[in-house]
Amino acid sequence: MSTKPSANHSAASVDCDEKPFAGLEDMYAFDAESMLAEPGVFPFTRGVHREMYRKKLWTMRQFAGFGSAQQTNERFKFLLDKGQTGLSTAFDLPTLMGRDSDDSLSLGEVGRCGVAISSLDDMRRLYDGIDLSRVSTSMTINAPAAIILAFYVCVAEEQGHGPDELRGTLQNDILKEFHAQNEYVFPPGPSVKLVIDTIEYGTHHMPLWNTVSISGYHIREAGATAAEELAFTLADGMEYVRLSQERGLDVDDFSQRLSFFFDVHNDFFEEIAKLRAARRIWANVMRDRFGAKNDRSLWCRMHCQTAGVTLTEQQPMNNVVRVALQAMAAVLGGTQSLHTNSMDETLALPTEEAVKVALRTQQIIAHESNVTQTVDPCGGSYFIEKLTNEMEAKANAIFDQIDAMGGVLKAIDRGYFRRAIAESAMMENKRIESGAQAIVGVTDFVDEESHGMETLKIGQDVEDAQVASLKQLKADRDQKRWRASLDHLRDLAREGANVMPALIAAAKADATVGEMMETMKGVFGAYDGGPEW
Amino acid sequence: MKRPIRILLAKIGLDGHDRGVKVLARSFREAGFEVIYTGLWQTCEATMYAAMQEDVDIVGASLLSAAHMTVVPELVRYRRELGVENIPILLGGIIPETDHETVLGMGVAAIFNPGASTADIVTRIREMVASSRSESDEDLVRGYKNREPVSLARLITRLQRDGLPGGIDLEQGKATIVGVTGAPGVGKSSFIGKLGGALRERGLKVAVLAVDPTSPINGGALLGDRLRMMRGKPDADFFIRSVASGDVQGGLGPKSEEIIRLFDGFDFDVVLVETVGAGQSDFTVREIVDHVLLLVMPESGDAIQFSKAGIMEIATHFVLNKCDLDGADATHAQMIGALGDSRPIWRISTINGEGIGDVADWLVQSRSR
Ligand SMILES: Nc1nc2c(ncn2[C@@H]2O[C@H](COP(=O)(O)OP(=O)(O)O)[C@@H](O)[C@H]2O)c(=O)[nH]1
Ligand SMILES: [Mg+2]
Repeated sequence: MSTKPSANHSAASVDCDEKPFAGLEDMYAFDAESMLAEPGVFPFTRGVHREMYRKKLWTMRQFAGFGSAQQTNERFKFLLDKGQTGLSTAFDLPTLMGRDSDDSLSLGEVGRCGVAISSLDDMRRLYDGIDLSRVSTSMTINAPAAIILAFYVCVAEEQGHGPDELRGTLQNDILKEFHAQNEYVFPPGPSVKLVIDTIEYGTHHMPLWNTVSISGYHIREAGATAAEELAFTLADGMEYVRLSQERGLDVDDFSQRLSFFFDVHNDFFEEIAKLRAARRIWANVMRDRFGAKNDRSLWCRMHCQTAGVTLTEQQPMNNVVRVALQAMAAVLGGTQSLHTNSMDETLALPTEEAVKVALRTQQIIAHESNVTQTVDPCGGSYFIEKLTNEMEAKANAIFDQIDAMGGVLKAIDRGYFRRAIAESAMMENKRIESGAQAIVGVTDFVDEESHGMETLKIGQDVEDAQVASLKQLKADRDQKRWRASLDHLRDLAREGANVMPALIAAAKADATVGEMMETMKGVFGAYDGGPEW
Repeated sequence: MKRPIRILLAKIGLDGHDRGVKVLARSFREAGFEVIYTGLWQTCEATMYAAMQEDVDIVGASLLSAAHMTVVPELVRYRRELGVENIPILLGGIIPETDHETVLGMGVAAIFNPGASTADIVTRIREMVASSRSESDEDLVRGYKNREPVSLARLITRLQRDGLPGGIDLEQGKATIVGVTGAPGVGKSSFIGKLGGALRERGLKVAVLAVDPTSPINGGALLGDRLRMMRGKPDADFFIRSVASGDVQGGLGPKSEEIIRLFDGFDFDVVLVETVGAGQSDFTVREIVDHVLLLVMPESGDAIQFSKAGIMEIATHFVLNKCDLDGADATHAQMIGALGDSRPIWRISTINGEGIGDVADWLVQSRSR
């Protein structure tokens, strides 16, 4: 041992138990029939399918996107070639914020952390040569999600595929932006209305498409505890379901296309328990609160990603091990799809080499470890079941608090989520700084010399080329058709009608992301953030 | 008197990951600093403008989107153009080690990557600001009289710290002083930001004094009003100064009246004063302003509460904010009932802009009377 042997390290965000092990006495309120059942049976604690990975492995989905649409297109083809089974698109910050590449606030950010998409033309280049009826695509975008979906539908149409053939997931979860990630544009009310527009459109036209990926990932990364991540995410899910019902949709028609996205952090058993609890809570809520009848409507299908915040810049190779442990927790927790982070992600966009190791990590778990051979191998463990029950109880207590405030939107107005998350982040920071929580290679077992890693750099030329091509597009398009399409969008937004058809028409008229967002801002207003402290 | 270290924390660009900057803000408050957080999506120009007006000791910029090579030169340029090269700039976030040397060479004082302990950061900051400033009183007074914003900003600091130097007379000038009060979260800062913008459009020069409470435990403060006020392009004639209340009671901070007079003497037409928002204890404001605007929001129960607490008497005008939300009509009716007189009630929303122009027009008119 090189450095200080500090006392009693624990990364646990659950309260550390006094007892050295869990036992039968922890099961006093546990009814295996109603709380556990078999895999594939209500309440699906043990998994949504009976056979799980024995029959079908999880989808290995690595997030990719950087630079220009062409560059990302090449990375996609590389990943498909290496055996990846789904595409996942990361957009650059300007796109995520609904701004065009030539916007003054976009300066220096075009193509840096994802791909820049300002127009249908960019989207065409992004998926060039990839048959959209054959891949499943996930797109990580929120405030302008409806616009990006419109682009996708248009590109598929040009390939000769209808929206009903498209498989994939749109993140489209604006609520967590208000809690954590801050990529909102409109105020909460109109923002959520836009999400319901896409759910409605998807329900009628895109039966294979996951309309919202209700995300705890960003909530957790911003500092929430596991229980807060679980509760806030499911509360957001309930809000979407409630509002979709209010829109007049039948719960069994749309809820099967809602999926979840969780973070998988360091505390191995806690994370497994969190995923199991999520399924149990959701199944109960969907049946009892919302009256869903179809089994599939009760499923909490999930995508997981290993926790970016746990990665360290120091001794970056250690990250490979962290990611492997977290990935294993996700698999033991029964995820439907998984992204493993690359070891160099704290520094910059991942290099090809790092992305490959991350993917190989999943493949080793899938094909070498044999954990896929029995479903929910942790089920029935005193400790896991106890943790699962505790997770559920904590989440229920948080639901009660949110209900008491008058629901998710009211709680946002009061700054409830942001404050809770900031408070938890601060607590964790204190644990780390006081030595109560260790980070190997950072707080303990520190190396004297540091060695930088080679990172991927995006040149300024991407931005220049992107801005130039956008200028060209704006000059070349049919001005009358373009203007009319934006006017139509504004009118529909004013009426409170579903804007999806207008967005698709505007996409075809070469209106840009920024122009459509501005048009809607004129109607919905712009949001400046909730209470900060 | 030694004042606490004042630090401005800024997130520049479109990135919204604010976990790090918020943990720092709280840690700095616990260390007894006055922390001015300017919120998301700031430009380099607005950040340095804020640093100048607030006369902070140090600027901390959080950068997570790999845009440091573009952002840092801009920050340094505005720092020079605004004449505040005395203010060190710290960078936090993800700056690859291979870029550190280049970035430091551009004029940044220090870089803290994730994993840096807050205790270390606090110590480094204390060392950096220990080397005190060296401007003479004569320069300050001359600068103020020449209407140089930097001098105004520094004179406020001088006033707070050691009192005013000789050569400055605080007399009542032509400025209209407007107090803005109401419960925390009702939208005072947002309103002042929008109203200030509308007054600028009408050709008036506007100064703001924004008071936030000081933590009673360690003397630190999170000054968060400014972030709601600085959405437009930075503007020399829209001067915002955030202050901590200290242990001064009554909704304002130490030397508030003198600061207002400094603004007045600097030829601002309107001075907007945001109180702590403690409700009925915001009484001092009444004595030093021309108008008191009380903000209320829908469904808050404020209307009823205030009529009991006596705050209704303090106000000369009422503003019902957040009229974009449900329940505005009901609250409006309640207020009319509770008031029982003819003092005006404006209905506004800082989100969609409703009603802001009416308040601005009234202010313009009231000045010509
Ligand atoms: N819906 C709505 N929210 C508003 C409005 N004005 C302010 N807010 C929100 O109210 C919260 C508090 O605003 P702030 O100006 O900081 O209030 P202060 O504490 O009184 O200064 C913030 O989350 C604002 O976004 C408005 O007109 N409508
Ligand atoms: Mg305020």
